[in-house]
Amino acid sequence: MAINLPETDVVVVGLGAAGGVAVLPLAWAGLKVIGLEAGTWMNPGQDYKPDEIHNNVRSLVTTGNKVANEVPTFRTAPDQVARQQPRHPMMNAVGGTSIHYHAQSWRLNPWDFKVKSATIERYGAAFLPEGSTVEDWPLRYEDLEPFYDHIEYEVGVSGKAGNIQGKLDSSGNIFEGARKREYPMPPLRSCDFVDHMTQAARSLGYHPYRGPAAINSQPYQGRPGCAFHGWCDRGGCHIRAKSSTDVTTIPRAVATGNLKVVDNANVRRIETDNTGKATGVTYLRDGKEYFQPARAVLLGTYAYENIRLLLLSQSTFHPNGLGNNRGQVGKHHFGHWDIQAGVAVSALFPFDLNIWYGAIAQGVMVDDWADDNFDHKSLGFIGGSSLHAYTEKHPIGAASMGSFGKVQKRWGSEWKRFIAENAGRWTTAYIQTNTFPYNNNWADLDPNVRDPFGDPVLRITAGPKVNEPKAASYAAGKMIEWFRAAGATDVTGGQGGTGPALSTHAHGGTRMGLDPNTSVTNAFGFVHDCPNLGVIGGSVMGTAGARNPTQTIQALAWRTAEQLIRTLRRA
Amino acid sequence: MEKKSGGNKPAGSAMNRRVLLQNSVKAGAVALIPLVDSSCTTKLPPPVIVTTPLGTDNDRTLAAVADRIVPADELGPGASAAGVVHYINHSLAEWNQAELPVLSKGLADINEVAIVRHAYEFSALTAEQQDTILTELEAGQLAKVANGAVLFNRLLRLTLEGMFSDPYYGGNAGYAGWDLIGYPGAVLASTPDMQKMRVRLPMLHTSGHGAEHDGH
Repeated sequence: MAINLPETDVVVVGLGAAGGVAVLPLAWAGLKVIGLEAGTWMNPGQDYKPDEIHNNVRSLVTTGNKVANEVPTFRTAPDQVARQQPRHPMMNAVGGTSIHYHAQSWRLNPWDFKVKSATIERYGAAFLPEGSTVEDWPLRYEDLEPFYDHIEYEVGVSGKAGNIQGKLDSSGNIFEGARKREYPMPPLRSCDFVDHMTQAARSLGYHPYRGPAAINSQPYQGRPGCAFHGWCDRGGCHIRAKSSTDVTTIPRAVATGNLKVVDNANVRRIETDNTGKATGVTYLRDGKEYFQPARAVLLGTYAYENIRLLLLSQSTFHPNGLGNNRGQVGKHHFGHWDIQAGVAVSALFPFDLNIWYGAIAQGVMVDDWADDNFDHKSLGFIGGSSLHAYTEKHPIGAASMGSFGKVQKRWGSEWKRFIAENAGRWTTAYIQTNTFPYNNNWADLDPNVRDPFGDPVLRITAGPKVNEPKAASYAAGKMIEWFRAAGATDVTGGQGGTGPALSTHAHGGTRMGLDPNTSVTNAFGFVHDCPNLGVIGGSVMGTAGARNPTQTIQALAWRTAEQLIRTLRRA
Repeated sequence: MEKKSGGNKPAGSAMNRRVLLQNSVKAGAVALIPLVDSSCTTKLPPPVIVTTPLGTDNDRTLAAVADRIVPADELGPGASAAGVVHYINHSLAEWNQAELPVLSKGLADINEVAIVRHAYEFSALTAEQQDTILTELEAGQLAKVANGAVLFNRLLRLTLEGMFSDPYYGGNAGYAGWDLIGYPGAVLASTPDMQKMRVRLPMLHTSGHGAEHDGH
């Protein structure tokens, strides 16, 4: 029998990038909030190390027990048996994956919100990718702008505006949507390599800019500026300069006295009554089962677990899973990496780059071939990719470089001479592609593989796509030109990429929409037939931008929280 | 090479810590390496007991394989002198225990091929003979070794980890690996000068785990 706890106003499931942000406006509004987190608090001074074995080999800052036990299975066609993947780097901890992410913190382009209507308007309906289920979002960029602003100022984002209220500034991103005001902090420190790549981009007529980062470039809200030690990727920040929610919004919410963090809580089900309304959640902690009743529930785990928890939470009113009476949970699901849109472009320079230190987010970005920033009429695809040249290289990774056709073997004397000269002279671009939902891409419960509690894990089916690989290859060609203009002697890649895989940028599956027949949540993220259950996270997004999704996830979470405050005050 | 040891704990102590020790085969030297708590919230006292998870025969084969991957030459020491065997045993005793059976069998198989073919164990063959066997292994062409290409890739990967990882784990001894590729060292903060292009940066020789773990 579950132990019944006293009722609270709101229970938030998951205190990562999304839930960790939503708790702040709720707590500020005076609502009593219980935050349930599967992991526990990290200790930045002790748990994070400038060490490739610690971070990238042993994955000590990228895994938690819960997520490790429920890694989804994956397949690329419905007639295949999906195989469970060895690991997935989402973090169980207070702060979640915002602890070890690259902290590239973008607003989406206004086009991302209206891909369908804008494509029809500019190119005609026949231009939409075949098999795509893409719909316009039920909100516009302009609706989300105030919430992007909240995130930039309350979480802490460094950057340079390119469009303040319609006034363009080419030292920022001239393709971005209009923003109310400048970032609260200037961009991260530049460096020789970033300056060099910036000049090369300008020489080609590109529009380079310093990408925004949820990392302090200077002291902000009691935390120091970045130290650029070069261990941001899959490592936490030892000085709390990275604006992960465990050092930003969550402690401030706790300080109000209105948020209680319950760590090591493994949420098993969202409970509903016979009218379909959520009554609270059931969770396990230290071997005991608890029921936490609440007036409203915010589901804020990773996209995969958001979908799975809904599908597992079956009841009389929701026999096929919560919010799934129209079969939409798990549909319109996709990820940046389960669509084979990744293309790798690597470049070898005739001089030492010295990009060992810095941070992935210390880079320079080009958006000229992203979104709808260029004419696609003769190209036969929609969307595109952002191009990112950056710093932070680790020694094992650097020495594991490709041959660039210059040596025959991956080992031995000749190879040793090659890496001795070149391990510090090569780099790879980060290319991210606008990605859309398709009929052949969805998530459901795996019929064979279960977690230790006997619950099925999620199964991802990701069939082949045509549009996204075309867009990515086109943009990769521009990246190759960019590297050559910067003096690279050898550039490889541009085709293919690593193939479909689980994604750290998983999107969709509980899509927002106005029509319950093609979406799970409404324009504010609340489940159509369970109105006191809100979903926050990438699972509500109907399209993926050509960039990391986290700031959009956080802005949507803040907006959902504000809507919940209004609803609970009315009640 | 000597590390101070202390606070000896019995095998199979509360945290299920192992042991580690590798006798660097060629040098015949003995080094104790500090153990790392896998949750990395606490540091345990240095060790303890002496076993090599792979066993001395496999260690010998591994050292010879690793020394063909990263040979000793005018650019610096080879893999075994840089502690790669030490590192790999450490990983197999700690966080990579699951791979021990496959690696043990694989190394024994490689040795078996050498004995059948040349009547000497792998470590006693000439560099050319060793390279021929490894090249066939890499291509998956050794009938005696199942999944030879996979085995070779793992040996290659683990050798690179040992050569270029923080010396805290027993490899990259004397910063031989980082000196080779010009990685100055792990730091907690960098200056703009440390990001200047077109220069070889001065080597710092710093471990990410503090001065007490520097050098071997």
